[in-house]
Amino acid sequence: MKRCSKCILSENFPKIKFDDNGVCNFCNDKMFFSTEKKQIQEAEIAINKMFDEARGGREYDAIVCYSGGKDSTYTLKLAVEKYKLKILSFTLDNGFISPVAFRNIEKVVSKLGVDHVTYRPSYKFMKKLFRVSSTFSIYNSKTLTRISANCNSCISIVNITALKYAIEKKVPFILAGFTLGQIPANTIYYKNNYEFFKESRQVVLNKLKNELGDDVSRYMEIDGSLLEEKKAYPHNINLLCLEDITEEEIIERIKPLGWVQPKDVDGCSTNCQINSFNNYVHVKKFGYSPYELELSHLIRKGLLTRDEALNKLNDQPQDQIDHAMKELKISKESLLESGSIVTKASVNGMDKL
Amino acid sequence: MKTNMNTMNVETIYKQKVQTQLLEFLCRQFLVEEQDIELNESLVDTGIIDSMGLIEIASYIETNYAFTVTEEMMNRANFGSVIKIVDFINKHDASNGSPTKK
Repeated sequence: MKRCSKCILSENFPKIKFDDNGVCNFCNDKMFFSTEKKQIQEAEIAINKMFDEARGGREYDAIVCYSGGKDSTYTLKLAVEKYKLKILSFTLDNGFISPVAFRNIEKVVSKLGVDHVTYRPSYKFMKKLFRVSSTFSIYNSKTLTRISANCNSCISIVNITALKYAIEKKVPFILAGFTLGQIPANTIYYKNNYEFFKESRQVVLNKLKNELGDDVSRYMEIDGSLLEEKKAYPHNINLLCLEDITEEEIIERIKPLGWVQPKDVDGCSTNCQINSFNNYVHVKKFGYSPYELELSHLIRKGLLTRDEALNKLNDQPQDQIDHAMKELKISKESLLESGSIVTKASVNGMDKL
Repeated sequence: MKTNMNTMNVETIYKQKVQTQLLEFLCRQFLVEEQDIELNESLVDTGIIDSMGLIEIASYIETNYAFTVTEEMMNRANFGSVIKIVDFINKHDASNGSPTKK
């Protein structure tokens, strides 16, 4: 597979072109980083102002979506130590979290002295959700350039659950550990607007409900009675986007909290054991990894080398892929049909999940 | 009569410019071709963007035009298609010198 000679975007990535030196059009885009730098600076000023105005006087200043991975661990550390916020940290247990990541979570929240909740949806539901998300065309392909279908479904539950907590406890900020490349710079912070977003999610939600029934509403929608209680929606903020820091530096800074690098996950994750399967499905469907954009961005910023990025992409343990397929009762044959609508009758064993 | 025609031309030219720039942004930001975009259809319903894409569009508007996009403005009437977004910008952009701007 041909890849850019500077970053790692591959020939199947949307709208990619290579020049005579094998460098891609994204690397050659001179305007991109000057625009991004300005957006980061403006976001930093706005976020600090919001924190200064809202800090204190309530049970929690912010909810941190804490997966146990290195990025959200560092985000949690920043929130407590740099920004001096009163934090409720929240972990979604999707049923595939690495045991090492769970131990990391326990150690880190203890060391930082923050309140913490873990929410575990029904494992039966999560397996069905992952199975449907990876074998049906739930999401439009154009919206999956930087995320896999299963990650999209999982993060939807994280976002909705965090928003429910924020509304219930009147918390003004929800913090997540996304990096630039995972998200664009113009979404470093934004005001949540559930009703507006709900309308835009309706097609996806209806497809999921069609396959999974009303349980989808429990996990991926907010009840009207809770919405009536809200005075204002929180702001969603991605603090890591304001930091110019390498992966190695992040790991060095979170080690004193007791965090250790899990060896039981793939190269692109530091917490989730279904990630390698999610990447496998994405590559099968679209011909490129959902991590190419993020890792290429880190390369261009000098925060990761090309070899380090390639090592991450190539470290996809087959035993983890096989385990996920076994748990989800997905065969290679059903995966071959991915990208087209698969009838319910042809997906065997749905009821046995 | 002549004044009304001049007014319409100024507004038409402005909206055409806004549309061209918006389409450039959409193609660049969401990695699509211009021919993929239906001007009168929802960008979400046609799969060009997801809900996060609406935030990116709101951010683009605030960065490039002289007004703030408030929570109340974020609705299908204003963001429901490229044409609606252009009309929304035309209505609120404080730097738009069109005499018909409200």
